[in-house]
Amino acid sequence: MHAFAERFSTNGAAAELRRAKEILGEDDDVSDVMWGSSGGFGSLVNGVPKFAVPSVPDPTSFLRMHTDDHADPSCRIKIKHGTTTLAFRFKGGVIVAVDSRATAGSYVASGTVKKVIEINPYLLGTMAGGAADCQYWETYLGIQCRLHELRNRERISVAAASKYLSNLVYSYKGMGLSMGTMICGWDKTGPAIFYVDSDGTRLKGDLFSVGSGSTFAYGVLDQGYRWDLTDEEAQELGRRSIYAAGHRDAFSGNTINLYHVKEDGWKFIGNYDISEMHYNGPGGADGYGYDVRVQGRTSANPPPEAAAAQA
Amino acid sequence: MDVSFAITGKGYVIVAADTTAARSIVKMKTDEDKIKVLSPHLLMAYSGEPGDTVQFAEFVERNIRLYHIRNPHGLRPQSAASWIRRTLADSLRSRRPYSVNLLLGGYDTSEHAPHLYWMDYLGTMVEVPFAAHGYGAYFALGLLDRYHDPEGSLEDGLATLRRCIDEVAKRLVVAPGQYKVKVVDKDGVREIAL
Amino acid sequence: MSRSYDRALTVFSPDGHLFQVEYALEAVRKGTCAVGVRGKDVVVLGVEKKSVLQLQDPRTVRKVVMLDDHICLAFAGLTADGRILIDKARMECQSHRLTVEDPVTVEYITRHIAGIQQKYTQSGGVRPFGISTLIVGFDPHDTRPRLYQTEPSGIYSAWKANAIGRSSKTVREFLEKNHKDDMSRDDTIKLTVKSLLEVVQTGAKNIEISVMESYGKITSLDLSQIEAIVAEIEREKEAEAERKRSRLAATAAGQAAMFAAGESSAQ
Repeated sequence: MHAFAERFSTNGAAAELRRAKEILGEDDDVSDVMWGSSGGFGSLVNGVPKFAVPSVPDPTSFLRMHTDDHADPSCRIKIKHGTTTLAFRFKGGVIVAVDSRATAGSYVASGTVKKVIEINPYLLGTMAGGAADCQYWETYLGIQCRLHELRNRERISVAAASKYLSNLVYSYKGMGLSMGTMICGWDKTGPAIFYVDSDGTRLKGDLFSVGSGSTFAYGVLDQGYRWDLTDEEAQELGRRSIYAAGHRDAFSGNTINLYHVKEDGWKFIGNYDISEMHYNGPGGADGYGYDVRVQGRTSANPPPEAAAAQA
Repeated sequence: MDVSFAITGKGYVIVAADTTAARSIVKMKTDEDKIKVLSPHLLMAYSGEPGDTVQFAEFVERNIRLYHIRNPHGLRPQSAASWIRRTLADSLRSRRPYSVNLLLGGYDTSEHAPHLYWMDYLGTMVEVPFAAHGYGAYFALGLLDRYHDPEGSLEDGLATLRRCIDEVAKRLVVAPGQYKVKVVDKDGVREIAL
Repeated sequence: MSRSYDRALTVFSPDGHLFQVEYALEAVRKGTCAVGVRGKDVVVLGVEKKSVLQLQDPRTVRKVVMLDDHICLAFAGLTADGRILIDKARMECQSHRLTVEDPVTVEYITRHIAGIQQKYTQSGGVRPFGISTLIVGFDPHDTRPRLYQTEPSGIYSAWKANAIGRSSKTVREFLEKNHKDDMSRDDTIKLTVKSLLEVVQTGAKNIEISVMESYGKITSLDLSQIEAIVAEIEREKEAEAERKRSRLAATAAGQAAMFAAGESSAQ
């Protein structure tokens, strides 16, 4: 994997060699790996994605210097992050729910971001962290999944797809990628969710939430979660959890996008305005908001005579 | 935040590791297995930098497996430990080293003895009767010096392990909730519920 | 060009042949015979073993090898080339587990091996592999036995039963005549041994049989078992010959009787 990262760096011995080869017009350094599972026939011949790394001696510290808006609010590159995404597995498949707000520093850059990336009809990826990183690499993952399908005449497993992504981001570890994503889908083994982040962590699980609002979402999600939820209950739980995060986390909000993955692939359930959910709930049912929910209820506990006097 | 212990006894090694996978203040998962079964008589508990740990452990796992397929006899614990240490040491001197700490417990079926190796990401390796990594080490090592018995039965070993886990639960602020415990002896590897 | 060595040795002849590849096939034809037969839920590999020299350790000569827990390979041709190819395949099996978290399918590893073989017909400074392989096994989560063949050119194909190496044509024709779908374990083994006996004159001691019954379950028959099967086949042949003889005798006797009867009736 280290060798993998080296292939794309613009400095160091490997890069020198590459430049020399370019000048000589040699391009036939084809290794066995290219016939293998780490790439498949021929797909690595031109080096997987040409991904430009800043041509400075140390790209990592360069990026850190210019992108860290915690240390320096006036930093030149403000990466879009601040998100709530969640996914959970239950008897009826997988629910994926996300918010739609993109912030760059303290600025709300967009309120209509698609944070669920539709990799193919059976696979969804969620987006937290750097928007560009997630969008680019998950789209790229989609290409690889399709190639896998063509080569092997069967759909890629969720485990394999997530591992591909995890290996990929791991090869860029320490170079400034920022991603926290869930790869969700349905394969031969049934519904599956994998959490993959730019540290290279990859976890299989039943329930994950990622992003700055994840703690708020977990609060609702963990308490309401059961394996045998009905489809409607599960969708409602996903919606309520994102609402909770959208309400409490300044960097999450605007609208909820809800997906449901079943045996025959994913289905988009709907887009819900969080303010609307606060007051009216989905389909004009009860609002999710605390003050809406407890309207007319009070904790005051006056003795009967005082209550009578008040009335 | 990972905590792992290993204890040898009469003809066995116990390896235990916590099962939490955390990211910043959030526990992402509470049933993660951090002990790899490398061969029928070899266990490896790993901890350290997220990402590196699993990548390295799986890399080792596949290489040991490849050795088993290529050769009529598998690697003995001593040889496996040397190879793993060397891999870590080479990695340390590469452009991006693996930051992984390991406990390697194995049973040598030809000399009928358990072996336990403590290894850190710098490529330090030492054979020990008991070992620990992470914050747990600060609490457990003194305890183990006092209570460890090299001739203890499996029950004794598990009781000592329980002492370690209880002590960590009592004193460590960020103590993990659950542990996975595996044992390797002449019959191979098995998991034990504490 | 100073890089003249870096040109393919395998080049077309004017009439479109790749002679190096054809010579490689010739090396295969000189190699010891290997047979693969697929039954209902079993697949059997049989190979002709060269007699080891008196002082040689027979355990160090292997023509049937495991690539992974569930895949087995036999080859015919240059043993030394085989070793290299097998090593690459084993590496790929583990690499596949590492990157995809699933064991390889039989077709996948076959395609991989064939891919390597093809590469050696089209790269600079190398010669083709002088081996054909038979690859058997079970796919993960599947009960159907698989049998594939690869050739030095990089061709690969699936078979019900096939043979490679010395006299493979004879054996294949024998298999074509005698193979039936959905054979039982014993029938499959017997057919394998029988077909090998077509070309192995020395009998059981020069035959090696590996049986794969399900994912990861593989057994090698030992000499006594193979001898028993050979003996049984001999017996059957004997009985068959006996029947033929008695049938012949019977018809002869019948004809004689008829003749006699005809004569008597004529009187």
